[in-house]
Parts: sequence; C-alpha cells; structure tokens
Amino acid sequence: MPLKVIEKRDVEPLIRHLMERFQVVGIKKKDGKNTYGVIESPAELRLDSCATITSPKKYFFPQRETLLQFAVDGSWEPQAVVEAQPRIIFGMRPCDIAATWMLDMAFSEVNADANYLEKRKRALIIGVDCKEPCDEYCFCKSMGTLEVETGYDLFFTAADDTYIVRTGTPEGEALLGEWGKAREALYEDRVKLRAVQREKDERFKEALEFDVEELPRFLEDSYRSLLWDVLGEKCLSCGSCNLVCPTCYCFNVLDEVKLNLSEGERYRVWDSCQLEGFAKVATGENFRERRGDRVRHRFFRKGKYMKEMFGRFGCVGCGRCTRACLVHINPIEVYNQLKGGE
Amino acid sequence: MDARLLPTVDLDTIFRPRLAQLLNVEEMTAKEKLFTFQLKDGTPLGQDPGQFVEVSVFGIGEAPISVSSSPTRGDTFELCVRAVGNVTNALHRMAPGATVGIRGPFGQGFPVEEMRGRNVLFVAGGLGLVPLRSLIHAVLDMRQDFGAVTILYGTKNPSELLFRNELAQWEARDDVDYQVTVDVADESWRGNVGVITTLFRGLPVDPRNTVAVIVGPPVMYRFVIREVLGKGLPMGRILVSLERRMKCGVGKCGHCQINGVYVCQKGPVFTYSELRNLQEAI
Amino acid sequence: MKPKIAVFEFSSCEGCQLMFANLEAEILEVLGAVEIVNFREIMTEKGDDYQIAFVEGAITQESEIERLKKIREQAKVLVALGACAHLGGVNCMKNYQDQEEVRRYVYKERAEWFDTIPARPLSAVVPVDYAVPGCPIDKKELLEVTKSLLLGKKPSLPDYPVCVECKMAENICVFDKGMTCLGPVTRAGCATICPTFGNKCEGCRGLVDNPNVNSHKQVLQEHGLSVQGILNSFRMFEGYLEVAK
Repeated sequence: MPLKVIEKRDVEPLIRHLMERFQVVGIKKKDGKNTYGVIESPAELRLDSCATITSPKKYFFPQRETLLQFAVDGSWEPQAVVEAQPRIIFGMRPCDIAATWMLDMAFSEVNADANYLEKRKRALIIGVDCKEPCDEYCFCKSMGTLEVETGYDLFFTAADDTYIVRTGTPEGEALLGEWGKAREALYEDRVKLRAVQREKDERFKEALEFDVEELPRFLEDSYRSLLWDVLGEKCLSCGSCNLVCPTCYCFNVLDEVKLNLSEGERYRVWDSCQLEGFAKVATGENFRERRGDRVRHRFFRKGKYMKEMFGRFGCVGCGRCTRACLVHINPIEVYNQLKGGE
Repeated sequence: MDARLLPTVDLDTIFRPRLAQLLNVEEMTAKEKLFTFQLKDGTPLGQDPGQFVEVSVFGIGEAPISVSSSPTRGDTFELCVRAVGNVTNALHRMAPGATVGIRGPFGQGFPVEEMRGRNVLFVAGGLGLVPLRSLIHAVLDMRQDFGAVTILYGTKNPSELLFRNELAQWEARDDVDYQVTVDVADESWRGNVGVITTLFRGLPVDPRNTVAVIVGPPVMYRFVIREVLGKGLPMGRILVSLERRMKCGVGKCGHCQINGVYVCQKGPVFTYSELRNLQEAI
Repeated sequence: MKPKIAVFEFSSCEGCQLMFANLEAEILEVLGAVEIVNFREIMTEKGDDYQIAFVEGAITQESEIERLKKIREQAKVLVALGACAHLGGVNCMKNYQDQEEVRRYVYKERAEWFDTIPARPLSAVVPVDYAVPGCPIDKKELLEVTKSLLLGKKPSLPDYPVCVECKMAENICVFDKGMTCLGPVTRAGCATICPTFGNKCEGCRGLVDNPNVNSHKQVLQEHGLSVQGILNSFRMFEGYLEVAK
C-alpha cells in the first residue's frame, strides 16, 4: 500500500472535506478530559490527545442499542433493528485499533452479530500514531499494541510539519485520492518516518517484568492465589474497569414497553462481569458470587481466555481501567505480582 | 481487522425470535407447569435432546429454558417451567392461544449417537428431570438401540415430583429400572427416603459399557459424580448439563461463561472430562 | 377493569408527588391504563378503593403509623415513592439530634400539639413491595415501575452502582474533580443526574444490595474525608442504615 504525505495545515480542510460525506468522530475535550465525540467543526478534533475515558468501541457497540421491535401480544412478527451510518473515526490510537480487531473477532465468529458488524463495516478508521505514553498507566508496548500493521484504512504519523500517512485499504487510498491534496511520499519521508518510529519506541518503556506470552501460564499457576482475595476486598464491584475497557463486549438484554403497553423494543446495554448480579440466575443461584472471583475472572479473560479463543490478548495495555479504578487495581502491578519475582 | 474480511451478515439478526403459539398448559406441581408450543411457521423446533431455547414473553423479557420434549415425538415441543423470575411467572399466567417468541434451539445437546449400544444411567435431581426427559424419551423411543436403562430420580419431597404419569409408566416397564427417592417424606409416601446418592448403594453398573447422564441442582453434581466414579465409570462417559445465565444464547453476552467457556456454545451438556480444568464448573 | 391507584404522603416535601403530577404528557397515557382515585395534590375526590398505593414520605409521628397500616391493608401493592419513603431520607438526620430539641425547633410554641418519633422508612412499619427511589424520584423510572406493575412484571431496580451510569455517560469521575462521591456504593437508575450536572452523588437512592462499604470508606478517607465526614455524608440519606451509625 502506498505511503502518502499530508501537510499539517491541510488536515483541517481534509476534515471539512470528510464531514461533507461522513459523520466524523474523534477525540474532543470534555471538562479537561478527552472523550470521543462527533466533530462539529474541524478545530475541535484533538489529534494529539489520547487517554480517552471510554474507547471508540461505542461507535460499533453503543452503550444502549435497540435490537428488536415487537408487539406485546405477539400479533405481528418481531422486527430486527440494525442501525448503521457512514462514519469516519479520525484519530484512533494503535491500542484501540488492536482492540477493534478483538471486537471484530468476537462479533463475527460463530454467530455473526449484524448490529455490530453493520456499524463496523460502514466505518472508516483513520489511525494516529502516539508520540509518547499517555501516562504511567498505559503499557501498550508490553502488550504488543504500540505498533499496528492492519486494522486501519489510513494511519497518520506526525513528522515535523507533515503527517506521513500509511494506507491500509483501497477505501483509505480512495479517500485521499478524491480529496487530491495528499502527495506521494519521497525517500526523505520514508527516512523521516523510520526516525520518528525509532524515537517513539524509545520513549515507551516496558512495564511488564516478563514476556507477555508467559502471562497465560502465570495466570493459570495463580488460579488459587490469595491475591484474588486481596483484590476482592478492595474492589468496589462498580464495573468501571469493564465499561471503559476497549475490548469488553459483555451486554445485558432488556425489554422496554411503550406507554400504550402494546408495543415495545428489546435493547442491549453494556454490562460488567464485576457487578454482583452478572452470573446470577433467576432461581437466585449466583455462579460468581465472591468479589475476588469476579476480579479473577476479569484478569483471566484479558490475559488467558480471550487469547485462547482468538489468539490475542484481551488486554491492549491502554490503562483505562487503572485510571478509572478508585481502589488502584492496576493490571501492570497485578501481572507483575503474578510473575511472583521469578 | 480489515473491514473487508468481516463476514456478510443477515440483517434478520441472531436476536430476532420466531413466534410460537401456546397450545396447552398442564399443571405439574404447585410451582411447575408444562407448556406445549408450536412454531407459527409450522416447522418443527428441530432440537437435539438437551438443547435449550430462549423464550420471549414480549415486554417482560427473554429467558433460557431447556426443552423437555424429544424430537422423536412430533412437531410441537414442551417446556416445563418453574415460576421463579419475571419471564417464567409471565408464562405461568398465559393461557392456550397466547404467543411467545422462540430463539434457538441453542447449545450442544446429549450425544445420542455416541450413546447408542450402551447402558444408560440417568440421574435426575429436582428440576434436572426437565432437560433429562427429552433424552429419556428419545432413548425409550429407540429402546432397542440401547442396553440397560436405569433412571434414578430424587426430589426434596413427594409434592415436587414432576411428570407423575410418566414416572408410573417407567416404573411399570420391564426394560427400565426406575428408582425414586425424596429427601423428606410425607404421610402418603411409601418409597425411598434420603438424598439421591442413597440410591447408588448396591446399584449394578457395568463400568465398561455405561454412560451416566446427570442433571440436577448445582450442589448435587459433586456428590453424584463421586458415586458414578466410584462405580468405575471413565470421566468421558459421565455427562452433565449445567445451568448458567444464558442471556443471549449465541456466545456473545458473557453471562454464562464458566472460566473461558461459553456454556451456550460448548454446553450446556459436558462430559466430566471436559470439566476437569474448568474450576468454576461444579 | 383499570387498576385503581392512590397517592399518599407522610413526612416529606411532597416533591415526589409533584414529579408524579408533572408527568403531564405521559400522565394522559397512563390514565388510559389506570384510574387515579386519590391524589390530594391534583384532585379533590378521595376514594378508598384502590389496588396500588404510591406512598411518599417518612414516618415521624405515631399517628402516621396507624394511617400507613390502613393503607397497607387496602393496597394490594404498596410502592414507596422517593427517598423519604424508601430510606427514611433526610428526615432521619433528626434521629442524630435530641428529639425534644428538634420538636421545639420545628413546631416552636405549638410543640406540645405534635408528637415526634425517630424518623423511619415505610418498610420499618409495614411490608413494602417496591420502591421508586431518589430525591426526588425520576419520572422515567416512575413510568417504568408503573408499566411493570400493569404488565405483571416485578419492577426491578438496578443492582449496580452509579459509577456504571457515569462511565456510560463518560462523565469525569467526581473524585478526579477533587470532590467525594457516594456513587460507588449507591444504586443506579437516576441516569447519574447529579454527577452529570457537576455535583457529587449524595446517595439518595440507597445502597446497592451488597456494597463494599469498607473499601469505599477508605476511598473517601484517601480523598480527604474524616471519619465524621464519612458518617455525615451517609447520614444525609442513609441515616436509618447501619452504614451511617
């Protein structure tokens, strides 16, 4: 795929151009913190900001999403509802691009989930490279998500007054083609890109004291560790870690009936395996009643189960869960503790 | 991944139920009723014994319920339901003619084909008879294909016994060894008293050619599996069906997970050897 | 036949009834499905033939106990409306003061005319079937509870804390703003209205079923609250509960 170059001053016109055809979403400021939102004017977009509260997954898997419309008495066939619109996510970070790969796997294997996939397929992803770690909580380098080779349509890396743009798909290339202001990269641009990447790599430190491929084994050996009890005593079971996680995709399904009591909709909402009732059945049996067991389940999902299911870790090292945790449960510390000072 | 590699999907989604009509309601006990349904499109449900469906009472919600009838018996299907939550209580208020939604059948049922030619030891505790009944019917309908058939059934007290007519038929059959026990007897009870494991004393089991199929409340498995292991059965021929919160039924929502396994996909039927490394299973 | 509804109040500001009355557009549709037979704030007729009673307010006088028991006898379903009825609410702050002083402070020279007992939620006096929590109640939740009752569905309150709704709304964590918050142990369902509008959660909806209070108290301490400060925050709405004692 060709390498292109865009002058930084041309980014605003590019966004304006894209806004004509797409809903453009990207990182905006909210009360001094960053969140993904719909870009109303190009100046709002913060390509240099990162560490958003939640991940851009909400554009493929919204917090609340209608699945079905029905008649309460079943007098007409229930109608499936799939909502999707053309959209560009501008400025997705490598960790979130890696997380999107995970969600793509989860929602397409065995029973393809149209509600996710339609939104996903109608979106174009323009990635933006990180320059330095968000803060002390991110550990993407250790999780192998500091660099992504695929999963984007375009990928921007800032270099001096330009963005050097990797094209990941023909759609991405076409997007730049019809805009017409991106130039082909020259030899100097390639040299510059490599230099920027090298500098970037140096700024990111390894947070884990071991090769992450060892993680499933450390987890397995620690299944009965008292560490989970200790974490369980701290854990508030507030669900924040799951809700801000870019790879969590568990949900609950509920019915809501209109005031006429004759029609309604079925919708799904984000759920969290840390919440008390997550594994509780109608008879009252709770299959993961202990807080510590729920904490363990989260770490096992991220570090072992998803790896076994999809071949990659469920944790991309974005650090969002740590930032959101009031009791400082930090996967870097947990993973290093599991290693047990070997 | 590259969005072009994503599968094309049917916009008639995995979450859309088919409509089914309630044909008949039969009171089983104070808490359980047996519902007979037929899909409105006229097709048979197509379930394997041991599979479950997601039942919608529109406006109330959706709940996973194991199918209690065998595919060997006609195009209607039966669900035996205890009124415990919103959906099941709403079902209990329904009369014939009412409409529900059905998704599924879902999950892995009992491996009937692999069981052919073997002796079958059924062990049902309480509501465990509900999913087990679909397999018992299938086995009895193909009786000549199986060796000795033993059915052990236990409930807390006599008033909780389900499918009483059928229990009497099984008891009357020469080709079925049926034994029943209750934890606590009442004045009318003349049979065995004691937890279900007491029925294993002196029970003849040929470990070389028997499959044990165990379904009951969570607390039961540990004790009954110990008994059948004690009879010499290999772990791969001990089958159980596990209850979990199978909210979506299609391997997405996460609620039914046992460690890394989605019960709605890999279960609800498991061999004991499959559960060996699943610490959360039993 | 349409189910008959009555709305009553005990010690409260009557703000939750006002929320009920303010349903405006929706109330007409609700009225299509129910008949309101007793609701002092919006009508003069007083019927005693009702199946569902929505009851606002805490119990703070002996006479209220008898009145509430009568309502319970008549109603097939009794719903506590708002924090005062559900938890005792702000009324329970008086339980931590001298009862005689409180009485004189409130009723002044007429104090002799009124008795006062420690404030308590409805559930301390009679069995309560359901609650619409909050100070004030959330209109949408009131409608959901009403619809559920009409559909024969047990109204279920979320058993997760306000943090869940804050994260979904992508609010900045109240603790990150230098304040303290009861959100991590408080039952959600309010669409996290207070944090969304720049305030902290005061816990008006009561605690989740199994809150990790010890850990939460440590968080509050870490963010600068003294032991007394922690008790005071819980006493605003949770005064009747052990957590505030």
